[in-house]
Amino acid sequence: MRKRYPLLAGVAAIAVLALSACAPEAPPAATSTSTAKAGTDTLNIATTTDVVNYNPLVGNSRSDYWVSNLMYPHLLSMNEDGDRIPEVATDWGYVDETTGFYEIRDDMKWSDGEPLTAEDVAYTLNATKKDKPAGTLYGQLANMDSAEAVSKTRVEMKLSKPDASIVEGIGFWGNIVPQHVFEKAGSVAEFANDGSDGGWVSAGPFVLTKVQVGQSYTMDRVEDYPIVKGGTPIPAKVVYRVYPDVNAEILALQSGAVDAIANALPPAQVEQLKNTAGIKVEESTGLGYAHMTYNMDNPDLAKVEVRQALAHAADYDAIRKVVLQGQAVSTGSSPLMEVHGDYYDKSIKEYDFDVDKSRSLMEKAGYTADANGNFPVSFRLIYSLQDSVTSQWVQLVKDSAAKAGITIELQGTERNTYLAMTNAGDYDIYAGNFAIMEDPVTNMVLSYLPGGAINYTHVDDPELNDLINTASTSADEKERVKLMREAAQIVHEKVYDNIMYSQQLYFAHSDKWTGFVSKPSELLSIVNPVSLASASKTAK
Amino acid sequence: MSIALFVLRRLGRGVFTIWFAVTVTFLLLRLLPGDPALAVASPNMTEETRAALLTQYGLDQPLIIQYFIYLGRLVTGDLGTSFTQSIPVVDVLLQRLPWTLVLTASALVLTVLLGIPLGVLAASRRGKAMDRFVQILGVTGQSLFVPSVGIALLLLFGLWLRWLPIGGAYDDAVYGVAWYGSVLQHLLLPALSLTLIQLGSYVLTVRATLIDALGDDYVTLAKANGLSPRRILWKHALRNALLPATTLIGLQLGFLVGGAVLTETVFAYPGIGRGIYEAVTQLDFPVLQGAFLLLAVTVVVANMLTDIVYGFLDPRVKTA
Amino acid sequence: MTAPIPEAALEPIPEPIATGGSRASRATWRAFRKQPLGLLSLAILGILILISIAAPLLAPYPASYGTDVLKPPGGGYPLGTDALGRDLWGEIVWGTQQSVLVAVAASAIAIAFGTLVAVLGAYIPKLDAVIGVVVDLTLSLPVLPLMILVAALVGPSTSTIILVVAAFSWPEVTRIVRSQALAVVKLPYIDAARLMTRNHLWIIGRHVVPAVAPVIVVSVVVTASRAVLSAAGLAFLGLGDPTTWSWGRILYEAQASGAMVSAWWLTLFPSLAILALVLSATLLSIAYNDARNPRNHDR
Repeated sequence: MRKRYPLLAGVAAIAVLALSACAPEAPPAATSTSTAKAGTDTLNIATTTDVVNYNPLVGNSRSDYWVSNLMYPHLLSMNEDGDRIPEVATDWGYVDETTGFYEIRDDMKWSDGEPLTAEDVAYTLNATKKDKPAGTLYGQLANMDSAEAVSKTRVEMKLSKPDASIVEGIGFWGNIVPQHVFEKAGSVAEFANDGSDGGWVSAGPFVLTKVQVGQSYTMDRVEDYPIVKGGTPIPAKVVYRVYPDVNAEILALQSGAVDAIANALPPAQVEQLKNTAGIKVEESTGLGYAHMTYNMDNPDLAKVEVRQALAHAADYDAIRKVVLQGQAVSTGSSPLMEVHGDYYDKSIKEYDFDVDKSRSLMEKAGYTADANGNFPVSFRLIYSLQDSVTSQWVQLVKDSAAKAGITIELQGTERNTYLAMTNAGDYDIYAGNFAIMEDPVTNMVLSYLPGGAINYTHVDDPELNDLINTASTSADEKERVKLMREAAQIVHEKVYDNIMYSQQLYFAHSDKWTGFVSKPSELLSIVNPVSLASASKTAK
Repeated sequence: MSIALFVLRRLGRGVFTIWFAVTVTFLLLRLLPGDPALAVASPNMTEETRAALLTQYGLDQPLIIQYFIYLGRLVTGDLGTSFTQSIPVVDVLLQRLPWTLVLTASALVLTVLLGIPLGVLAASRRGKAMDRFVQILGVTGQSLFVPSVGIALLLLFGLWLRWLPIGGAYDDAVYGVAWYGSVLQHLLLPALSLTLIQLGSYVLTVRATLIDALGDDYVTLAKANGLSPRRILWKHALRNALLPATTLIGLQLGFLVGGAVLTETVFAYPGIGRGIYEAVTQLDFPVLQGAFLLLAVTVVVANMLTDIVYGFLDPRVKTA
Repeated sequence: MTAPIPEAALEPIPEPIATGGSRASRATWRAFRKQPLGLLSLAILGILILISIAAPLLAPYPASYGTDVLKPPGGGYPLGTDALGRDLWGEIVWGTQQSVLVAVAASAIAIAFGTLVAVLGAYIPKLDAVIGVVVDLTLSLPVLPLMILVAALVGPSTSTIILVVAAFSWPEVTRIVRSQALAVVKLPYIDAARLMTRNHLWIIGRHVVPAVAPVIVVSVVVTASRAVLSAAGLAFLGLGDPTTWSWGRILYEAQASGAMVSAWWLTLFPSLAILALVLSATLLSIAYNDARNPRNHDR
């Protein structure tokens, strides 16, 4: 038999060789004595995707955020209500109209012993501005000219024009990277930061030490993390484990193979897991919204009555009740959500689901229904197939619009095709969602100003432009609130955007662990640095 | 024709096949819709970020120039740099290759170990109930939908019985012999489910060729010489029947390496099939090109080895 | 998801080639009738085709949502409901239509093209060398990863799935039909026909195609079942047609909503449907192959 299968034997031999190359060697016995509070436990967390890029200025997927946020701290974080709170920065604001500043903590260190200073912050911002890496931070820097470390703990930014939201925007979105590591790499846009040059350096609660692509990302505790109570993270290790299939991921949680799931639970599983012994489900406020926008380049959709007719032809209640299992709230069809505090305007009410109203609006716009009650219009709605919640509610939107005599043709595509079509304006109706819309002014600048990166309606309304432009340069918060509320009125009335709901997110973990700090959005959730640093095993 | 010429001709055909696969992949990626810059950057990037990315990737060049640059680098062994991960494509592939080989090899070994006895059993009881049973078993295996079976296996062995782990290729913090044990534990379910879907065609091939061989003259001769049926079956007929089965193994290797996407997805096994799927979702052209090159090389090498082995075993092939 | 075609099911059987067509097929039918498994498979396939045609009579088209979410089988729902409260029975019935369509259309295209190429190659020796190389090259491409790539880039729809599956299935058909056709064109009666007429299409249509027909029948069935598994696998990866009901879509939606374990009926029933179609198609081809082998006729 063996003689007959040289090929097989060869394959097996290669495999064994490959395997033995992977076989780990036992580490030297641990000598370090941990501090009293910090434990020796490993916290296993499931995620559905691999880390794509370890460079926080480039990485864009959720696993990228989750891993790099544990190593590269942000200036600002966010509390449960969506307000910006200190992380590395202790104070922030404006020196004058075109100068912003951050005061930062003086007790932060990188895990290789180098102090984290204002120089690192300034370097991060200037290098990002220069090299244009693909991540989110670069988009926040549009109005920043340069940053300068004026002292060891103070950074000042020169702005090209007044911008009232840039300090908080950069503070919240930007990771601080170590200048002494990233500088050597040349361009920060092309730096892989894959640890090939002596491992990673962290100023967060954990540092990545071992990667098995497709399987796990092991992070060890950094003993000195002043931001968490007690100054030292409690778990000795955090291991992210990859489960591409969410069903296997849930099985892994139930079996104890992992202690928590990082991604938000599918709505249909929340009740199920709440009732499962040994599993706890944490709630977190949604900080984003799902919406439809109507492309005004389409002559039919350029008519306000048609957009209104569409807005009244969707059953928002049913969508929230069935697709989201009641785990979503209405924003009153307004881009200003309750989580935005003062900006929220109760007087703006959701479009009611009323197909008769839709029909009369269509007639008012000059359309006549045929014998079957159908109007001579057909709109192509695009959505991403990777977005399973949206994929479900668009079906409801299509069916309810049909009742109003309006034909909607669904075009679900793979995410990249969807992004390309969105970018090219190749759609009549766009359906999608944003994970984090933390700042109303920035949001409106990007969504409703002509040329805005997410202006999917292709709207250019002079009145709206004025309001948003004034608000974006106004230093007075009260003034901004007033202007934004007026803008939201216009958006709502003219249906420049149709915000359908803000989803509440649920995260599951084993009841053997406690002390998680849940924060808004899937990016922060229960895997934000402070939460993981404070998590501990429940006493038996 | 001499053996050297035979081998040389096979080599030439192999290189030609690889060139074909590489070219098809290259063209498909660039001619079908899809913008890698969008896949990499955040949705609110500016037009200039996009242009900068396309320049960085070399996608702003005319197609034909891109193609020759790519081929030129390929000849020197340079597979390029991943768009999304910013590391050499070779590294991306090497991270996953060992586990793919482990999974594929064990599935192949299992297939052969189960397939030969089952094929012999079916052939020797031709037309009887046992024959039918084996055939149905094999065909059922390859008609199953892998993810459903996978989840059921995980539920049974992972959650209810707790005999086997859920996900991954090995446990952390285990060393030495225990580490190999944990590798085997993690390997069992994905390897079994891969075996299940390909066992059928293997069993049927062994059975069919064996039946043919049993009808051949030399078997009749052996029978006439009074050899025991068991000896004829296992010794003489099987030896000849194994040649086509060997070919099938060669063909299946390529299929297995790239075709395990669903298995790897459900069992969270860090193989290359899943890597390809992820590279597709990220439109990571260099990684995809590298992966398809790797698959083509695997198929060609497997086929060449099979051919050469075949050639040595069966002199008739050399002149064919 | 795309297991290689069982070679044994496709090995050309040389015997019936030269025999008179109708007599051989009657003998084949007589032998086939004696195989319970073949008849059972034929019956299951018949039922599935019937379901796909009579879908509107069996269940209303699945509504966009219902109020009873994730109900197990029983009560008003014979097979339970899914995460949006839709009736699973209706989804499976209507999904049969799409799955049968994909199977039939993909194999029809692959067979038509594959046979044409094979017969042309066999008939025109100069073309044959080129066709042989192209088929070999295409067969060495990694089919499944390429299907994923094309489906993802072109955009998922039933026609994409059909074309993608067909595009990667025809070489297999060509390979199998070609070897049979090569044997046929060398036979004396084809030479005789060539003397009688210069109408080559007539010769191909009248003599060559009928002679390779049995091999075509077998590869139709195998390509069709492969198409079903491929379509389901692509759908499971989120690359299926999201607007038409198919078995793959039911499984994909169960997967995306994390319900594969807790709502077992969402996983079990569509998987059984796939199994029924693929298994009966493959068994049918095996039974047919056995039946047309003259060695079995007298048994």
